[in-house]
Parts: sequence; C-alpha cells; structure tokens
Amino acid sequence: MMGQSQAASAHSKEHTVVPTDKPVRTDGPQDHWSQLLRAVGKHQDRAAFHALFVHFGPKIKYYALANGLTSHADELVQEVFVSIWRKGASYDWRKAAASTWIFTIVRNQRIDMLRKQQRTGAEVPVATDDLWQIPGTDEDDPTASLHRLMSERRVRASLSQLPEDQITVITKVYMEYKSHQQVAEELGIPLGTVKSRVRLALKKLRVILQDPP
Amino acid sequence: MMIRHHPDLHRLLEFSAGNLGDAEALCIRLHLDLCGECRNRVDALDSLGAVVMERQPELGLSPSVFERVLERIDADRAAPPASAGGATGVLTRILGTDLSSVPWKQSLKNVGVVDLTSRFPAQGHRVLLLKLAAGGTAPAHTHRGEEITVVLQGAFADQQGVFHQGDFVVLDCQDNHRPVAVGQEDCITLSVLSAPLRLTGRFTRLLNPFIR
Repeated sequence: MMGQSQAASAHSKEHTVVPTDKPVRTDGPQDHWSQLLRAVGKHQDRAAFHALFVHFGPKIKYYALANGLTSHADELVQEVFVSIWRKGASYDWRKAAASTWIFTIVRNQRIDMLRKQQRTGAEVPVATDDLWQIPGTDEDDPTASLHRLMSERRVRASLSQLPEDQITVITKVYMEYKSHQQVAEELGIPLGTVKSRVRLALKKLRVILQDPP
Repeated sequence: MMIRHHPDLHRLLEFSAGNLGDAEALCIRLHLDLCGECRNRVDALDSLGAVVMERQPELGLSPSVFERVLERIDADRAAPPASAGGATGVLTRILGTDLSSVPWKQSLKNVGVVDLTSRFPAQGHRVLLLKLAAGGTAPAHTHRGEEITVVLQGAFADQQGVFHQGDFVVLDCQDNHRPVAVGQEDCITLSVLSAPLRLTGRFTRLLNPFIR
C-alpha cells in the first residue's frame, strides 16, 4: 500500500489530469487510478494507460496463475488491457472506483478464457458481461453509485483489520477459484467453519448489515 | 414489491468471485435485476475482490505484453466499437424476445416450457423457462439434485410458502413440491436443475418424458 501511494504521487507530477467540462466536483475522481482510467476513457491517454498497466498488470498476472491459468497468464493480462481500452469510454468515476471496475473486467476475462477452453461445438454462449455486469454500465442510479463508492472505501479501510483466518478463506475464494467446500477440504476444517468465517468477515466489512432471513 | 427470498451470502460471494457456472449465474443475475438490496451486496463484494487482488504478490511482466496490447488496440481503429448490453435484459437477449411473446411449448396442462439448456453447454444442468397458468397446478415432483428458481412474473405457492416476482428459491432433494400459480397473472420462472426431476404424482409415467 505504501509503495502504491508513493508511485501515485511520483506519477502525478509527470502526468497531470486537467479538469474538464462542467464537472460535478471540480476535483474529479480522488483516487489516482480512477483519474488515470478516466483519462484513458475520455482522451485515449496512452501514458495513463501504461501507468495502469504497470500497476495492475503484475497483480493480474498473479491472479491468472493463482486461478490455474498457468500457460495463459500473459494472455489474460493482454485480454484485460485490450478490454480496458475498449470499454474505457463507458467508465464513470462517479459510479465505481477504478480498482473495482478493473477487477470485474479481470474476473470476466478469466471466465471467458475458461469457457473458451471448455467449449466443444458451435454453441452460442450467453455473453459473460450480460451475466456478470461491469459496475455502472447498465444503470443510472445515484444512490447505487454512492453506495458502491462508499463500500469500496469501507472495504479497503477495514479488510486489514480482519483476523488472518477470515482473510485466508476470502482470498482462496477470490484468487484460487475455489468453492467453500474446496476451501474446507484444503484447510482441513469443516464446511460450517468456512461459512462462519465468511459470514463474520462480510459482517465486519459491512457487506451485510444483517443476516438475510 | 417486497422480495423476501434472496440468494445466501455464500452464493453471492461465489458469484462475485466468478466461481459459479453460467446457469446459476443467470439465476443470480435475474434476481439482481429485480433486487437492489442484493445489487448493493454484490457491489460491495466486487470491491472486496478488487482489494483482495491488490493485496497479492506481483509477478513480473515482459514489456512485450504491453506492446501486443498496443498492436491490438491500433488494429481496432477500423472496427466498430463493441456494442454494449443496452437497455434490454439478459433474458430478452437469450430468448430473442420479451416475456410477453415467448414461444411456449405446451407439453403439460397448465405448464408451458422453453428449454434453454443448449445455451448453457457443458454444465450438466437443465435450464428451463416455465410458465404456470394463473390458478393452475404443476405436477407434484421431487428433485434428485438442487433446483434454483427465480420468479420472473406472478407468484406461486407450495408447501413452503408463497414466492413472488424477484424471489430466489433453492429446493433440494428433500422437497416434494406441487406448485400452484397464485394471483391474476401466469407465473413465469426460470429454473436450473442440477439433476432430473422426478414426478411423484399419479401421471408420473405419462409425464416424465417431457420433464425428464
């Protein structure tokens, strides 16, 4: 995290995002990566695009390997960045933080890649982006947008306060493509324990405010 | 409209992580389209995924990867931009029509079916769009595996309660149910079956070939 903010301030010296037309807030997106992503979407800014690649690329490569895409890790990174470029114009910093928006693209490209490997015939599959939406694309609901931005901030601030055993379980689900059952088997703990760790973690992160009935 | 039956947290988490099959993901999507509460949860979960990904170690990347990306986006210029999803829902795009003009197959009294299984290959699920005529009763059946149902229109009732538009219901092999469409409207659901149904009523042998 420290390294990230240093890189961020170093970068903004050489690449300043100029405030543009009738902004709701003159300062635009507050976090650095959202500023860069906006510059990519609005101005096809290649320097900003490269900065995003330098920051997120190595993390996406790790994600690919952890997910078992051993020989396709570079390919996933490539697909993700082509997709970021193509979809960039639809990115709206008022609706989602760049990191969340990019994560959903990474996830969807991983799903697409696995589906391509499994595909047998000439079926017409349902588009991944139709099932797993990129946040903010199909909606114009200020309340939802505000909620999304706030929960991003909250999750970022409080994840590191969770006990390690809860973080481990959550990480395996997100990074290693594992079901709760597989996580339980791998850690040698009952499924119920995995579920209660997930539940506690999501409560603390306030993903849920109360237990669903 | 009050949605009372939601996917549990664990299913939402696995959805956000991208670990569910397409058919199950479709059920979640259709529920999300109607349920703002769960959309907020999934938004928060997507942020969690982003933060988790950022906390992981980094792996070195060859600059050639970025060069290939640039080559591809340069080649893009002539091509038209990919069309976004647009205003129609995912189901309309799958069916090629909206719910009011679906080409139902009337295989059973009261029940219309459109089998969407072929759109969800290699998953061993059956994916059925079902319409139960207003006031009609479906044949009693049990499930050998899990059945996930999302109510898209109208409402149905069975031994467990009444399920309205937007409700996300999971039934397992314990449940022997005999749904009845309640209210004025036909009840339309999308159901994903992880194993074949077993009819338990009197017409079992006669009807099983249709539902399998």
